[in-house]
Amino acid sequence: MTRRYRDDPAAMQDGRNVNPGLGVLLGEGAQQQVKRVEEAFPAPGVTEVPPVHAVATAARPTYYGQPVLKAPVWIWTVPVYFYMEGLAGAAGALAGAVTLTGDEVLRPFVRRLRWVSVSCCAVSGGLLIADLGRPSRFLNMLRVFRPTSPMSMGAWMLAAISSFSGIAALLSDAPGALRRVGDAAGYAAAVVALPFTGYTAVLVNNTAVPVWQSTRRSLPFLFTASSMTSLSSLLQLTAHGAREQQIARRFGVAGRIAELVSSEAVERDARKVPEVARPLAEGRSGALWKAGKAMAVASLALSLLPARVKWARTASAVLGTAAALSTKLAVFQAGRVSSRNPHATFDMQRAGRGAAEVGHGSSNLVQLKVEGRLIPLDQAQGPTV
Amino acid sequence: MPATDPTPRKGFFTDTTVCIGCKACEVACKQWNQLPDDGFVFTGMSYDNTCHVGASTWRHVAFVERPIRLQGQTAGIGDFSWLFMSDVCKHCERAACLEACPTGAIIRTEFDSVYVQPDVCNGCGYCVAACPFGVIDRRKDDGRAWKCTLCYDRLKGDMQPACAKVCPTASITFGDQDELRSKAEQRLAELHGKGVTDAYLYGMDAENTPGTGRLNAFFLLVDRPEVYNLPPDPVVPTKKAHAAWQALAVAGLGMAAVALTAAFSVREASR
Ligand code: SF4
Ligand code: SF4
Repeated sequence: MTRRYRDDPAAMQDGRNVNPGLGVLLGEGAQQQVKRVEEAFPAPGVTEVPPVHAVATAARPTYYGQPVLKAPVWIWTVPVYFYMEGLAGAAGALAGAVTLTGDEVLRPFVRRLRWVSVSCCAVSGGLLIADLGRPSRFLNMLRVFRPTSPMSMGAWMLAAISSFSGIAALLSDAPGALRRVGDAAGYAAAVVALPFTGYTAVLVNNTAVPVWQSTRRSLPFLFTASSMTSLSSLLQLTAHGAREQQIARRFGVAGRIAELVSSEAVERDARKVPEVARPLAEGRSGALWKAGKAMAVASLALSLLPARVKWARTASAVLGTAAALSTKLAVFQAGRVSSRNPHATFDMQRAGRGAAEVGHGSSNLVQLKVEGRLIPLDQAQGPTV
Repeated sequence: MPATDPTPRKGFFTDTTVCIGCKACEVACKQWNQLPDDGFVFTGMSYDNTCHVGASTWRHVAFVERPIRLQGQTAGIGDFSWLFMSDVCKHCERAACLEACPTGAIIRTEFDSVYVQPDVCNGCGYCVAACPFGVIDRRKDDGRAWKCTLCYDRLKGDMQPACAKVCPTASITFGDQDELRSKAEQRLAELHGKGVTDAYLYGMDAENTPGTGRLNAFFLLVDRPEVYNLPPDPVVPTKKAHAAWQALAVAGLGMAAVALTAAFSVREASR
């Protein structure tokens, strides 16, 4: 007996309305898995009133206030990854520097730093995989080597630094030649760590999201500095000897100062187009951003107190960690908000910060082609403003 | 394929001035590609309940309904005008999605189109944030990124894409790039001759969209790009990324300097 179409709940519910008894599912989109039909609606929240600033005016048209861009699909594990991989990178770099001193007394410190680096790498890997739509295919990341893709570069750097730090950590206290192998691996890890620590900034800079793209000259500094703060905070809580404390503190004070300076630079970059800077000043992302800055200031002030004031050290470490996390979450959230605001994209490009920034801009910006001639936009007739 | 006989570059020329907003392209695309529907939402945005192209919607007809007068449109009472545009993946010459994809899932085909291989994509979502046109999207319950394939399967079988085939007004024309360009230039001259001097071609050449290069799917428009939800000066993010890498290099070296200073200064101090 042939099954009737309406008796086949799967065929009815996947939104394709193809009767498997009559049609074969071989189309380009037939493999697309459907659990909830509404999942793929490309404009979630469209029936909600768009935010006031997204509404079109004659001078600044939009398409019913709808966003131009797709929002980044990344989940919370991604900003936490920004924090974790920064920690791994900074630990790898500092471990290399301390190894270079050749000081035997600092050897346990080197070993601890290497273990911090490799365990943060492991957690980072987990956080990244959790965000994939198809986690079982995570190894596809190492299928190609693509310099145009910071994500590809990041995957390779993560693979490299986890291997090097892993070898270095395991061989930290090995005898003779093996120890030298471990140190060599440690130096290799330190070299990879230099770009790795803040590469997630480049990762977000290399997108169409206005606030991310606009801060490409400053965000890498912020992410690197904030990772230094993260590491020193962790060490301030756990470091053992006085000398370790002091190294961690100097590293951290420099990191905190750089963090504050570069967060100003990020704001300055974003503020060149008011709509682009909006998410750093307003809403949840704005609150996180401001909280991050305030905690970084407090953490810096406390870390300048004499080292023997123990409560200050602890408070500074806790605030430093919270500041780093908050800042990275803020940047992530700001990107989401920014991608939803069509004016951010349009204003930026109209202000000459689209393709015009890297070569010549589109003829759309100033002129239209009329009868083979380019004429200024305001001389064209019609509703163009 | 012999090097002497390359497959010509293919693409779409979409003349928005003849589009009647029938959405046959949307329907044909869903049917041929066996894409699921994505729910039935009433938006109140003119007759547009689709809103965007997305993971399961590879063609989208925009409806711009406004109380203003446009060249070449006569209104009965008062000022009123319609614009329709069937939007699609642009199959950019410098495709942001392709340059961002870390798995090599996105490839350039022999037809010069940009194609996502569903058996390779691991759903990292980087292409989604990279596309300056907001085209490609990841489907949450499927986990992978999807977009228009320029009907790769049909092209392989010497057929034209389903949307172009079905378009009753030939607003969507499919063909070799050279042919499409001359067709577009001709149509533009015709419109200018009729007094629609606002008409222009969006994305036909690198002069119009220098940031992404020529778009293999280009458009004839009569108002600013923003009106159709198109970016006025799109750019492939990769073109700007060198500034970020430079900043990162300086930041990394700065961190190295701080680490060395911290490590060595304390050693000296304790002696
Ligand atoms: S329009 Fe977007 S999805 Fe299509 S080829 Fe260009 S960058 Fe890729
Ligand atoms: S989601 Fe898939 S197609 Fe898009 S960049 Fe990641 S691996 Fe490539």
